[in-house]
Amino acid sequence: MTPTNADTDTELLRQMRSGTAAAFQALYRRHQGPLFRFALLRSGSPDTAADVVQEVFMGLLTDSFKFDPLRGALPNFLFGVARNLILKHEHPRRREESLAWDEDADGEQSGDGSEQYEPLGRLLSEEVAEQVRRAIALLPPHYRDCVILYQLHGLSYLEIAAICQVDIGTVRSRLSRGRAAMAKRLAAHRPDTINAV
Amino acid sequence: MMTTDRTDPGDEHRESSLDAPLAALRGALDASNTPPGVEKELMAAFARQFPAKRWYHLLSPLQWGMAGGLGSTALVAVMALMLSLHAPSHNDHLEAALDDGLDFIALDSAERIEQEANAHVIQADVPRTALAALGVPVTPQNAGDSVRAEMLVGADGSPLALRLVSLP
Repeated sequence: MTPTNADTDTELLRQMRSGTAAAFQALYRRHQGPLFRFALLRSGSPDTAADVVQEVFMGLLTDSFKFDPLRGALPNFLFGVARNLILKHEHPRRREESLAWDEDADGEQSGDGSEQYEPLGRLLSEEVAEQVRRAIALLPPHYRDCVILYQLHGLSYLEIAAICQVDIGTVRSRLSRGRAAMAKRLAAHRPDTINAV
Repeated sequence: MMTTDRTDPGDEHRESSLDAPLAALRGALDASNTPPGVEKELMAAFARQFPAKRWYHLLSPLQWGMAGGLGSTALVAVMALMLSLHAPSHNDHLEAALDDGLDFIALDSAERIEQEANAHVIQADVPRTALAALGVPVTPQNAGDSVRAEMLVGADGSPLALRLVSLP
């Protein structure tokens, strides 16, 4: 049986687990884009993002992450897995960033992002987009999750809370602080560019 | 597809100054996808996890059991049909004698018959009881009947062989 675009994720998963390669391919093509873009913005590295997407789908293939359709939609589950993998990738430097943010909670974090996220910069040609990308990259990781998922992927507070495994109030506050920090950074760095858009 | 078109109750996170920059970022990222090599590696991993099935793996053991059962039943049915078509009836030797004019039943030795130079065939009605020794079925109901026969007799009138023409 050949999978179609109308097949639900659950149906494609069922076919994939019975050995239908086309179903796995359809699932991958359906979800790889958003996952890659999330991982790209979240990690700042195209290579890391590609690795994360590959690990996510390898886990889906081997069922090592135990997706349960009764507990939520597949895309949100995949975002959650991707987020955990990114946390694992960035674990060595996460502690340092967190401490730095705690010391400078208004968003004036000491910027080490421009060199660190240089690979992503090559992908973003527009200057404004690059400014926003940098502003997001300089957010603490837990703020970055909320901002990316809410502002760029259109998820609800509830979905983000499930993905990040926090309550809705935490999502709300992280989003608020993240957006405020972004607005401040964008206004400070390139006010003329931002206002012109 | 990236979008921000959703409404969350109490959504106070709408800062118009960020909308345009975020839209620009969304536009810049829209074409960003995982490198093609990832899909190739994943499909190769899938092929390793689900190796191509041989023809005899296409059916489950249960299906193979059912197919075997059906096959055996069909074989038995065909054999039974063939046996019923070719099974000799109890009158086969008599029918052969009736249908085939050459099938005489020897009543004397082959040498005696061969030596007889003037043998000839005569029509005769033979009592069924006299034919019981030759395998003709005899019942109390037909014991008094006669059977039309052709008899090969020698020059001296002694019977050498006979064949049954009718078996009432």
